Amino acid sequence: MPESDSAAKQLAWHYENPMAQAIAAHRAGIPVVALTSNTIPWELIQAAGLFPVMLRPARRATPAADEYMETDVFQARIRQIFESAVSGEWSFLSAIILSRTSEQEYKLFLYLREVARESPREGMPPVYLYDLMHSQSAETRAYGISRTEELKHQLEAIAGRRIDASDLAQAIAESNAARAAVRRLLALRQDAVRLAGTEALPLVGAYWFMARPEYAKLATEAADIIRQRQTLQGVRLIVKGAPLDHVQLHAVLESHGAIVVAEDDWWGTRSVGSDIEASGDPVKAIFEHYYRDAPSPRVFPPGAADRWFESRVREGVDGVVFYLPPEDSVLGWDFPRQKHFLDGLHIPSLVVEEDPCAGGPGPELHASIARFVNAIAAER
Amino acid sequence: MPEKQLQSTVLAGAYQKEWFAQLRRDVFDSHRPYAILQADMPFELFEVMGLPAVSNQWWSAVIAAKRLAPKYLDAMNAMGFHDGLCRYCSLSMACTLTGSPDDAPWGGLPKPALLSARLTCDCIQRVFSMWAEAFKTEFFALDNPGPTVMPPRWWELSRHRWRELFEKHRLDLTVAQFRVLIGVLERVTGRRFDTEALRSLMEGVNRQEEYFEEVRDLICNAPKTPVRMNEQITNVMAAQWVRGSGWAIQHAKTFRDEVRSRVEAGVAACPGERRRLMWVGAGLWHDTDFYTAFEQKYGAVFVWSMYLAFGPDGYIRYGLEDPLEALASRTVSMNEQLHLPPWANEWIVDQAKRHRIDGALVLTPLGTRSSAAGNRFIERALERAGIPVLPIRADMVDARSWNAAEMIRRVGRFIEERL
Repeated sequence: MPESDSAAKQLAWHYENPMAQAIAAHRAGIPVVALTSNTIPWELIQAAGLFPVMLRPARRATPAADEYMETDVFQARIRQIFESAVSGEWSFLSAIILSRTSEQEYKLFLYLREVARESPREGMPPVYLYDLMHSQSAETRAYGISRTEELKHQLEAIAGRRIDASDLAQAIAESNAARAAVRRLLALRQDAVRLAGTEALPLVGAYWFMARPEYAKLATEAADIIRQRQTLQGVRLIVKGAPLDHVQLHAVLESHGAIVVAEDDWWGTRSVGSDIEASGDPVKAIFEHYYRDAPSPRVFPPGAADRWFESRVREGVDGVVFYLPPEDSVLGWDFPRQKHFLDGLHIPSLVVEEDPCAGGPGPELHASIARFVNAIAAER
Repeated sequence: MPEKQLQSTVLAGAYQKEWFAQLRRDVFDSHRPYAILQADMPFELFEVMGLPAVSNQWWSAVIAAKRLAPKYLDAMNAMGFHDGLCRYCSLSMACTLTGSPDDAPWGGLPKPALLSARLTCDCIQRVFSMWAEAFKTEFFALDNPGPTVMPPRWWELSRHRWRELFEKHRLDLTVAQFRVLIGVLERVTGRRFDTEALRSLMEGVNRQEEYFEEVRDLICNAPKTPVRMNEQITNVMAAQWVRGSGWAIQHAKTFRDEVRSRVEAGVAACPGERRRLMWVGAGLWHDTDFYTAFEQKYGAVFVWSMYLAFGPDGYIRYGLEDPLEALASRTVSMNEQLHLPPWANEWIVDQAKRHRIDGALVLTPLGTRSSAAGNRFIERALERAGIPVLPIRADMVDARSWNAAEMIRRVGRFIEERL
């Protein structure tokens, strides 16, 4: 990564090379622990002196996953994680932590553990489950605090050292600083929009792959530069549905005169949420953040799951694109309710079912998006 | 529809139909409350509180058996729910949302006082929330903690060492949630929960499942199976939905007695039995005739499904000092035990060996995709154990893509070529 590149270019590079810093950390003797989703406490891993990195494997053939994983059951990203984990590609990882906040990840945890039991493969990292419930009740909250303490103990065992209060305070501070930097970028997508979605997603997404102090510095620099730009004009859209860790759909939308101003998923606008409380019991504060403020398919009740979306829509948007690719078997349940909400506000919406990564966006996708965007533009 | 060979089966079917008719009379005429539950819920709490409970999956199966599923599922698609969403657990809701009392089986489900489900998958909270909204009633969710320790041969520990098998932190959460649920049930029924009544009911469940275990052993050991899989399911599930009740225990005993008499008299369900098949997965409710289609030509008889076999291994709990905790242990891992590695594959292979299975058909549900999880591990484990497997891609309740003649040909080829 050339040092002379702009902050934005450096962030985008890390987004495209998500394991770069993790591998460097490993070579420097720092154990690397991987996360599979946004609901796993980065701060605890960091506080243990480990290097946390989000898993974002590239799309490629999955012969091992094809052997063990049923067709049409698992999302492409989950299959890719399985493939890379069992193939030995991630032998440098000291552990992979998976979360209970999606059924797919929970089953991935069981599958990986079973492969390790049934036919151990060289270079397969050990796996741990962070059993976070996302239904909101006093019982699941108490359980979540105890499981977060348990995760802390597991991380201490991996690191071979205790996590003390100052470790936690520092990790929380670093993480909150990176969150603040992400929010600076996100502010450039609100009101006077200066940052298109296609560019924003990599800049925000690098948050998951980098040391957070470095990320905070680069993201702040990038935001300061982008703030000098002219505002962008176009049909302002929210993308909602299956989490998007790639820019292909954004690119198609923005090629037709739209600007994606937000995503209702954890790779984009909702990646960081609010800050973690720096006062009080730090483990509880970390837990509360991931329990209350991190999106997942298991947030319950529906009012809690819809709160952010409804609030963001009311702040002002021209249209909503629901991304429900063929692999979706969950979020489609929410669509009629959410469309009904939009219809009540006279906000147009479009369902995209085509996976733009599967063979590239086709002419039908382009045509439907063009019609949708043009119709909104004509009404404005 | 093949003839019912056992008198118990006739009794079980009649009981269920009358139970439901009585439920409708109680609800409509006497305004008594009832509940709709996901199949893996602790029905025992509802039984002990005197709140009748209808299983979501049972009602789905009834709809499917009456060939009404395509109509309701098409209507759901027209409402904006895409075709890739789960059908088995949502068909009953679809009947409520899109059907009418005129076309629903037996006049349809009346308004319940409560809906309740365990949040095993990511869909069920959505389905039950919408369903509760449609009924304008309450939904109570039990969240589902994951295991950290999973000794493969769980069935050797589940009866006596269940505290250690299912882990204290999981049991504690489940009991805590049960206590909240009990509060809801007390409010709905106006009754007080009685721990002793639950203990007594749990003892009754043990007796019931011990009878089922005897039936399972008779099937394992008899030269030819005395009871077809279809009839096993009818007898077992009629009792399981009201498990521990006087009727359920008595019916389990009646069923055991009849099966034992048949074995002693040398009566086989299929006198020409030459091959024993197992069905892995939920039932093919829209075409249960499929299960007897291979008897005449091939002497191939389905002898095993999870419905009977899981009763003794999954339900019996000894040591009922704290019946709520024992119930939590029965509830907390049903999904893992029946479907997910390592528990499902290890158990099913063990069952296959004990039942002298020659070949297995493993259902990959087309319209309930998440239910297919774990199948590859099961298929691989069976093949490794020397038991040929035929994966079946079909839906439990949706007949829209089912081609019975083609499927019978496929299974025929499997029998000819691999068994």
